[in-house]
Amino acid sequence: MTATDDTMASEAGTGAADAAPPEGVTVLADLRSHLRKSKAGISGIIICSLFALVAILGPWLPLIKDPTKQSLPDRLTPPVGWGGTWAHPLGTDQLGRDILARLIDGARISLLVSVTAVIIAAILGTVLGLVAGYIGGRIDTLIVSAADVQMAFPGVLAGLILVAAFGPSVWLVIIVVAISSWMVFTRVGRNLVLTLKTSLFVEASELSGTPSSRVMWRHLLPNLVSSLITLCVLELAAAILAESAFAFLGFGVQPPRSSWGLMIQQGRNYVTGDGWWIVTFAGLAIAIVVLGVNLLSLWLQSFNDVAEREQIILERPGA
Amino acid sequence: MLRWLARRIIAAALVVFVVTSLVFVVTHVFTDPATVSLPLEASEEHRAQRRAALGIDRPLGVQYWDFVSGLVVGDLGESFWQNQPASKLVLERLPATLKLVAGATAVTVLLAAPMGMLAAWWERRFPDHAVLGFSMASISAPPFWIGYLLIIVFAVQLGWVPTFGSRGFASLILPSFAIGLASAGRLAQMTRRGIVEELRKPYAVTALSRGFSRSYTIVHHTFRNVASGFVTMTGWELTRMFTGYTVVIEVVFAWPGVGRLAVQAIEGRDLILVQAAVVVLATLVVVTNLLVDIARRMIDPRVELA
Repeated sequence: MTATDDTMASEAGTGAADAAPPEGVTVLADLRSHLRKSKAGISGIIICSLFALVAILGPWLPLIKDPTKQSLPDRLTPPVGWGGTWAHPLGTDQLGRDILARLIDGARISLLVSVTAVIIAAILGTVLGLVAGYIGGRIDTLIVSAADVQMAFPGVLAGLILVAAFGPSVWLVIIVVAISSWMVFTRVGRNLVLTLKTSLFVEASELSGTPSSRVMWRHLLPNLVSSLITLCVLELAAAILAESAFAFLGFGVQPPRSSWGLMIQQGRNYVTGDGWWIVTFAGLAIAIVVLGVNLLSLWLQSFNDVAEREQIILERPGA
Repeated sequence: MLRWLARRIIAAALVVFVVTSLVFVVTHVFTDPATVSLPLEASEEHRAQRRAALGIDRPLGVQYWDFVSGLVVGDLGESFWQNQPASKLVLERLPATLKLVAGATAVTVLLAAPMGMLAAWWERRFPDHAVLGFSMASISAPPFWIGYLLIIVFAVQLGWVPTFGSRGFASLILPSFAIGLASAGRLAQMTRRGIVEELRKPYAVTALSRGFSRSYTIVHHTFRNVASGFVTMTGWELTRMFTGYTVVIEVVFAWPGVGRLAVQAIEGRDLILVQAAVVVLATLVVVTNLLVDIARRMIDPRVELA
């Protein structure tokens, strides 16, 4: 990771000196040619964009039924292929609600909770990491100890105690997921800053009297971005899983809204008998989306891996 | 070594102290056990009565002192949902949770070590891809869903093991796999990466060029050097288990452990009992981390005395 950033730093340096094409353009081109060669990256991007599209466009998609409309005569209709009809392609649940519609509705909650939580964690964690690494001293000790304590007090425990104290809510889940991941950004950010701090371009700007806030914002942060984005994707997978676990325990979204974890909780009494599809499809939805995010993160990591990246750049036609 | 150990233990005790204090702040400053236990429409009189009964009408400082001195002697307060000492309730459930985590750890280690070695042995060939596929699938699927799939297939369809509850060894199998598969997936990749990196190092290249087979070199040379990382990662997975998915899996399989007790206590609006369960689980996490550090020191003396 250090090596990557050193290369990035030197690239940025030479880019400015030669007034060659701006660095952003070449990185994007590298990214695109790397993506074309990576099955994992392509499948990851396809799954993630489908998930985002469905979650955002959900209610306006054609042919989608009302996720809350109950119809007791239609309860526990099996999916197409197991005796069901195209009226309910994935069957219905114990109250006769269309499972496909509920899955699409649940995607919104998953996306909302996990993305918001990761953004909060990334901003908070990165700022703390920058400050700890760059300022150092007592502030550093304080932030590092706080991260250590957080490591010993993982999200689920915080979730249990907060839900017990304040009752279940979506916002609580967002906060719990965010506080269980900020320290990851702090640790990675701090370590990167510690290695960057001694590099020439930082020392040069310090010597020319740049205030520390500007050094952190304009010189250090841009060098952290690629690692932090990779980390965001990785944490997003954890956040989606955590959200589903909390919803499953009944700590998040409350009925009649649906969420994938909540669907599994409500369908669990039917797993042993006639209604296996409720739990199966809801879990499958979580698993596919998390798999997509994981594939994306696998690809980003391999792109950040400097040896592999050079290989790709060398293989690029015209290079 | 002894000084290192002493410092490490004091640091661990400090972390436990800070975590429990944070828990106290949530349960006594932002709200209080009496308010949580009563319905919103309860009369002010009723509230005051409950406060007095729980000793929450006293100044916060006194309550905090009581809480901390109680912790030292293992008194975690009285559960009003069960009318029993909270520590007794939690400790009764602790063996079940420990048994489950032990089972899951066994699954993790027994799957991850061979899979990681196989993947490294046939690097970039079919077994490597198969192990990667298993890892990606197992870390992407939510563990509680894996639990239900295992129930559907092995308990309902095949009838090999009980669906839920904790009756003997057979009922331990499914929940252990439900928790352990994801950990095994992560650990297998770590092991593979570690061995592949080690195999590029001069000592391994020498061993290979002297005619030792790839499998012999992996088992006898490189795996030992990966072992320290393996133990650390297993420890990481252990702490994840204690606090993460064990709670959920206990609910899925109606396993009588601490996690399920905490969830039941939330439903019973018993803040004291939730607090007790959380304090015990957090302490377990800290103790596990401590034990992992010690184990790593014993396996690999090169680990610095930080």
